[in-house]
Amino acid sequence: MASYDPKTIGDIHRHLHTHMPPDPALRIKALESLAVEKGLVARETLDTWVEMYSEKIGPKRGAEVIARAWVEPDYYDRLMEDAGQAIKDFGYQGHATEHLKAVQNTPDTHNLVVCTLCSCYPFAVLGMSPLWYRSAAYRSRAVKDPRGVLAEFGVTLDAGVKVRVWDSTAELRYLVVPERPAGTEGWSREALAAIITRDSMIGTERDLKLEAT
Amino acid sequence: MDGPHDLGGKDGYGPVDVTAPPWREAWEKRQWALSKNVPMPGGTIDWWRHGIENMDPVAYATVPYFVKWNLNELAHRVDQGLFTLEEVVAGHSMAQRPPAPARTEAELHAQLQANNTDFSREMDHRPRYSVGAAVRTKRAPSPGHSRLPAYARGAAGRVIAHHGGHLFADAGARGEHRAEHLYTVEFSAAELWGEGATPGDTVCLDLWEPYFETS
Repeated sequence: MASYDPKTIGDIHRHLHTHMPPDPALRIKALESLAVEKGLVARETLDTWVEMYSEKIGPKRGAEVIARAWVEPDYYDRLMEDAGQAIKDFGYQGHATEHLKAVQNTPDTHNLVVCTLCSCYPFAVLGMSPLWYRSAAYRSRAVKDPRGVLAEFGVTLDAGVKVRVWDSTAELRYLVVPERPAGTEGWSREALAAIITRDSMIGTERDLKLEAT
Repeated sequence: MDGPHDLGGKDGYGPVDVTAPPWREAWEKRQWALSKNVPMPGGTIDWWRHGIENMDPVAYATVPYFVKWNLNELAHRVDQGLFTLEEVVAGHSMAQRPPAPARTEAELHAQLQANNTDFSREMDHRPRYSVGAAVRTKRAPSPGHSRLPAYARGAAGRVIAHHGGHLFADAGARGEHRAEHLYTVEFSAAELWGEGATPGDTVCLDLWEPYFETS
């Protein structure tokens, strides 16, 4: 039974950080060894999770969803109405997506997603978050200096474009829908998905390039 | 609480490492997998978050991201009595249990899909605010876990969405499964950061009804 006592959990944290070996690899190994020895998980199961998040569960999922929305107006409407439901067409629901909210970039609005309090992210549609998304630099500055952060990503906004930052403070998660670039008329969903980047779905990229990166 | 985790608007952290990948080290992937699959009976997501918030602030600021997760996973299991402090420091269990069976990718995929937790709840009272309403957040932080960041306290904003009842984070960190009306509130950057902010820029936060001043 959890104590739900902040002092208790804080004391345990201090004890562990003080007394465990400092090497991160050894700390993670301690948790793995304990979990395996206590029959909570098999090492092979951990291997499988690592493989799944290395290969299959990544930003290609989000790109597929947005490419479909670009070519199917009905699906676009469903995505904007309830993205958490719309992604179930693909079976992409999972970790942190039930209350997924799609936000659309427009010629005069740019959306940027952050979690200043921890590192909330729609993992099941975008895969593991980039290290910078979880960094103190991004978390501290995205809300206060979004244009400075965007400039570091090479994004300069035209005059008149407003920035709307979404700080993920509850269990809603945000997915930026980038604008479909000119010159992609008639493209297949697969070709469109190939040019939609992870950063464009977080909001740290704005103008998609026509060649896949 | 005014913990080390509440980073929004803090200065001095330098440029963003814009090319950083999701992982650099094998142990980071290993910790992610452990967090996905080592069962932790009971508990709430906000009690889990509150554990990290109660780390020593110096440790919070200096240990790598996945080491924070690691310490927190270990600390919560010690708190629950599943592991002892001695076992964790030694890095081994004092008592061997029968091994867990390996699980297939199909099983893990099904587990992942089932993990799309629904935090919404039916409410027996009406929302106090409707879309378009002006609200002001409270000045004083909640004494325990809160999802109202320091930078958005005592600030005037406008409701742009009402999401019905959602499990209330502050209560969840105390083990209570209680819902409050949840809203998305848009604040002008100038309201939050002063005159230097770009006119028209805004910041949106998802905030529960108890975070607002009622007068």
